[in-house]
Parts: sequence; C-alpha cells; structure tokens
Amino acid sequence: MPSHEVWRTQHRINLSTQKYRPEFVLLAKEWRELLASRSFWLLLLMIGPLVGHAFITAVTLYSEASGIGGGPAALAQGLTPLDGLVSPTFGAYDLAATFLFPFVAIRMIAAEKQNGGLKLLLQLPGTLAEKVSAKALILLAAWFATLLPGLISIALWKFYVGHLHGPETANVLFGHLLRTMLSAAVAVAAAAMLENASSAAIVTLGFTVGTWALEYVASFRGGFLQQLAAYTPSSALRNFEQGLLRLNTTIVMMAIIVAGFVLAGLWLPTGRTWRFRLVSTAVVMLILAGIVYGANTVSASWDVSENRRNSFSYSDEAALRQINQPLKITVVLAPEDPRLADFERDILRKLKRTLPKIQVVYGAASVSGLFEKSEDHYGEIWYEMNGQKIMERSAIEQVVLETIYKLARVSPPAKSDEAPFPGYPLAIRPRAAAWIFYAAWPFVIVFVWWLIRRR
Amino acid sequence: MNKLLSVDRMTKRFGDRSVLRDVSFTVQPGEVVGLIGPNGAGKTTLFECLAGLIPANGGSVKYVDQILPPWQRKDILFYLPDAIVPWAEQRVSWAVRFFERLYHASASALIEPLRLREIMKSRIASLSKGELKRTLLALSLMTPHPLLLLDEPFDGLDLRQTRDVMGLLKQHTTQGRTLMLSIHQLIDAGRVCDRLVLLNDGSVVGEGTIPELQAKAGVASGGVEEIFLALT
Repeated sequence: MPSHEVWRTQHRINLSTQKYRPEFVLLAKEWRELLASRSFWLLLLMIGPLVGHAFITAVTLYSEASGIGGGPAALAQGLTPLDGLVSPTFGAYDLAATFLFPFVAIRMIAAEKQNGGLKLLLQLPGTLAEKVSAKALILLAAWFATLLPGLISIALWKFYVGHLHGPETANVLFGHLLRTMLSAAVAVAAAAMLENASSAAIVTLGFTVGTWALEYVASFRGGFLQQLAAYTPSSALRNFEQGLLRLNTTIVMMAIIVAGFVLAGLWLPTGRTWRFRLVSTAVVMLILAGIVYGANTVSASWDVSENRRNSFSYSDEAALRQINQPLKITVVLAPEDPRLADFERDILRKLKRTLPKIQVVYGAASVSGLFEKSEDHYGEIWYEMNGQKIMERSAIEQVVLETIYKLARVSPPAKSDEAPFPGYPLAIRPRAAAWIFYAAWPFVIVFVWWLIRRR
Repeated sequence: MNKLLSVDRMTKRFGDRSVLRDVSFTVQPGEVVGLIGPNGAGKTTLFECLAGLIPANGGSVKYVDQILPPWQRKDILFYLPDAIVPWAEQRVSWAVRFFERLYHASASALIEPLRLREIMKSRIASLSKGELKRTLLALSLMTPHPLLLLDEPFDGLDLRQTRDVMGLLKQHTTQGRTLMLSIHQLIDAGRVCDRLVLLNDGSVVGEGTIPELQAKAGVASGGVEEIFLALT
C-alpha cells in the first residue's frame, strides 16, 4: 500500500464512531465565539435598561389611564394589555433589532474574515450549509438570551396581577423573533459580501433606512409600492402588535431570512468566482421576488387579539361569508388623509380578511387631498357589486356593512349578543422594576461576563 | 513512482497583473517539498489556489490520477495560512480541544515538541509570533489530511524551535504524510526539504532535489541560495 494510503487508512475519520459530530462541534464553537464577543455583552447590557424603561413607562401610563391617584379612569374597554403593555414594552426590541443586534451578527462573520479564521473554517469538516446554519442557530440563541428582560417584564406584570392574553402575547414575540432574525440575516449577508465590518454595518443600516423611505413614499403613492411596503420590518411588526398573524407577512419575512443566510453561504467561500457569486445572487433575488409576488395572493390570517380588533362580530362575519360576488370599493381619499387611515384600519383590514373577492381602488388625484374640488368626488367611497353602485361617505362600520348587505341582497344579521370586550384596567405602580432593570440586570450581566471571561 | 499531487499550468491574475503563470509541478507521497521564492513570488497565492480558497484562472490539480476540483480539495489537503490570528479571544487549550473533537485526534504527541504546555491558558490574541506559529502548527498536524500545505512554518520561530519543528515535520512524513512548505528562508529550505520547487515572479524556474537543481543551474557546489540566484 502506498505511504499516503497508509496515512489515510490510519487517520480516516469514521463519523459513525466519532464521539463528537462535526456539526455539534461547530455549533459549540460558534456559541463560544458569541460569548467572546463584546458586542453581544454590550447588547445584553443595554437591552435590560431599554426594556425596563419601556416597561416602567408603559405600566405608569396604563395605571394613569386606569385612574391611579384618584383621577378619572379611561373607558375600561379601551384598556388592553396588548396596546398598553406588551407592544410598548417589546417595542424596545425593535430598537435593538435595528441598531444593536445587527452588529452582533456582523461580528460573527467579519471577525473571522478579518483575522483569517475563515480560511481555516472553510477547510474544516462539515458542509457550508452546516457552517452557516450553525451561525444562524447561535444568532437565534442570542436573541433568546436578549429576550430575558422582556420575559422578566411579563413576569412582573403577572406579579402585579396584570392580565395577559397568551395568543396575542405569543404573536408579538413571534413578530419580534422574525423582525430580529430578518435584521440578522441582512447583516450576515452584508458581512459575507463586503470586505470589512464597517461597510457591512453601513449597508445594514442603509437597508433599514431604505425600508423607512419606502414606507414614507408608499404612504402617498399607494399602489404597488404600498403593497411592497407592507413587508418592511416595521410594517410587518405592526401587524403582530395589532394581534394579527398574517400568513403572507410571515412567509415573506421567513423568505428574506432564509435568503440572507443563503447569500452569506454563497459569498463566504473565497474560492468562488465573482461570476458564480453574482449569478447565484441574482437567482436568489429572483426567487425571493417570486415569493413576495406569490405571497400577495395569500390572504389567510388569524386574529389572535383578545378583543377581536381585526374582525367583525361573529354574526357579521357569518353574513359576509355568504357573499360570493366580487366587491369593488373605490376610495376617493388622499393617502395623507387621516380618514383613509381610519377606513383602512377599521374597515378594509377586516373586509379583506372576511370577503373572498374584494378589490380596492384608490381614486384620489392628489397626495394630501387639501386642494381637491367637489367635482373630483373627493371624500366619496363607492361600493360596486352585481353591476350596482352605491356611494357612501361614512367610514363607520355599521354604515359600511349595511351598504354591502344591500348591494349583495343579504339580510343583515340580528344584533349580536356577543359579550363586549371588558377591558382590563389596572392601577398599579411598577414596583421593583427600576431596581431589577437599572441595577440588578447590568450587575448580573457584568458579573456573568467576568465569570465567562475567566474561563 | 506514483505522484500524490500534480499541478498543471496553474494561472492566477488579479486584474491585469499575472501572479501565477502556468505553474506546473508534482509532489511525491511522503516527501517534504519546499516552495521557494522571494517575497511576492506568488507562493501564498499558489497555496490558496491549491487549497481552493481563491479561484484560479486556469490549470488543474490531480490527486494521484484523479482531477481534484476546488470544492473537493479540503478532503485531501489542509492549508495552514501564515499571519492569521483565528479565534483571537479564545484560549490555546480551547483551540486544541476544538481540533481534537473535530478530527477525533489527540494533541498529546504535539504538546511537548511544540512547547504548548506553558501557553495553553493564554488567549490566542496575546501570543507572540512564535507561540502563535507553534499553536497553529499543532492544529494543522492534528488534521487527518494526507497532504499539508504550510505557509512559512518557521517564520517567528527561534533556532532551537525551528530545529524541533523540522524534526516533528520529518517524523510526520515517516508515517506517510506529505508536506509542502512555503519558505522564504533558503537555508531552512535546504535543511528540511527533500525536493524544491523554485518560484520566481509567478513562474516555476526549477524543480527537483538539490543535486538536480545544482546540475540544472550549472553550479557544481553550493546551497539553495546559489542555485536560486543562478536560476533567476
């Protein structure tokens, strides 16, 4: 046997008998690298006070609205923990996902590129998919670690005997998970594509600013841009914060996350030609565009809010589901007109979830609507079905539904006897929260960092 | 004799600049081949092309008698780059354990010859150049690959350490492993290598044992320095 064959026979790795599988060793390595990353510890250090401030402010405002200190309480029905506590408290994570978490993700790639570790990593056992997946899983673990202050705030709220509705709280957490991983995926892709960490940071922040610009432009342009803007991280997160779980939003966010990590996998191996990288990047972007386009046709959604804010009453929903004819609504309201925002939120969002065939046309000629003339039909909302048209200016739910029932020749349901949402007022001071988030949390983080650093 | 590795007409350009021009040479099993050349000759680029870490513009690599595409090279050869500080925040002991677990190997036979015991608890970022080199050599020697490409393996080592490392490398070749070393210190190359590949300005100007190269260069006696100067 030739000498090199002797060597190979003696040193061949038998994966089936190996005590440590390469994928787990790589996973452990990434975890260790995360714990060695100062950006991760800085994120942990900052997330506690950030969440704490949001929680204390939310509890204080909720208590004021509930009539603490003898003041008049707001209408109890308006007091929902989703709006009053969960969304504002976890809003701190949106800030972290935008400005802090991407740096942890960038560091995970850029450090190895800078110090030469990537040259070794690419030669180590395991496929590239396993190596990129290990990084993705560790970033996921990092997010769960940062979630701890949020979970503490929920525990505190329960300790104050505050009410929480499990599905809507879980939905908000799921939205933040998708939003953070989306940021991480963009950051990882940028870090893999670009030479250094600072360029990757600029591109990642540029992506976020770009989505804000898209939302701004879409708000007065409408049309396709508005459809696209519904998938920006902030817009998508707003759905979750409203207790709405939309399948198309979830699909698009997950597709962007997967695309980000796939792009990282395409650009990390230094041995690939520019041509291969550019062509494969174009293919990934085309597939992503196809998924976004296809997702627009998916209308499935679930209203997980306790007060069913995204749905009509059960009896109205049952009546609307009997309507199979297409409904066309022409709204002659400018994008910046607050009446359009109300109509979108209170009527259209619910109608799109209930009616199978609905087409909405935005007919205003201007952006602000301030200088529209009466002959332009400004302010009118036209409902068209079975060749019949009815114009209404009101955006009140009962008026709109009656108009639709009339057009569809469907009898309006009897007045619903559903119990109204009771609301959950709670007048309480955020006891112990300041100590936990501003003192104990930073101390624990610094102490744990010091302990791990000593290993 | 069977060839372990055959490199045929490998070329690499960075923009308009040709860094490797039709580089061809062979590596026999169990030998130590020295890749010799001045700074900028293309040694590191050649190693990175061989390891599949940068794309070559042309040429092929054969393992025994089979073409070895870039994506399969990591199964056959392991390349240890020069001037890298991987996993800088970790300790040497972690890096050693990482490779032990990854390759199901043991570092025990490497700790004494490479004098790792005293630096095991040090962070990789805090190591001196020589300590870092010894650590990285230990990692590369733990890999199971039949062919190792080591870029400047003696850079940063003192005389005694250089001698010890040479002994260790030689010992590995007696067990059937093949080594290719990129060396710019010609004296070191003459001491440790069985054969030499002389690279100058991206082209191979000579390949063979020292007597073969002496004959080619037309120098009756003299070391690698004289041969290299005569051939370039």
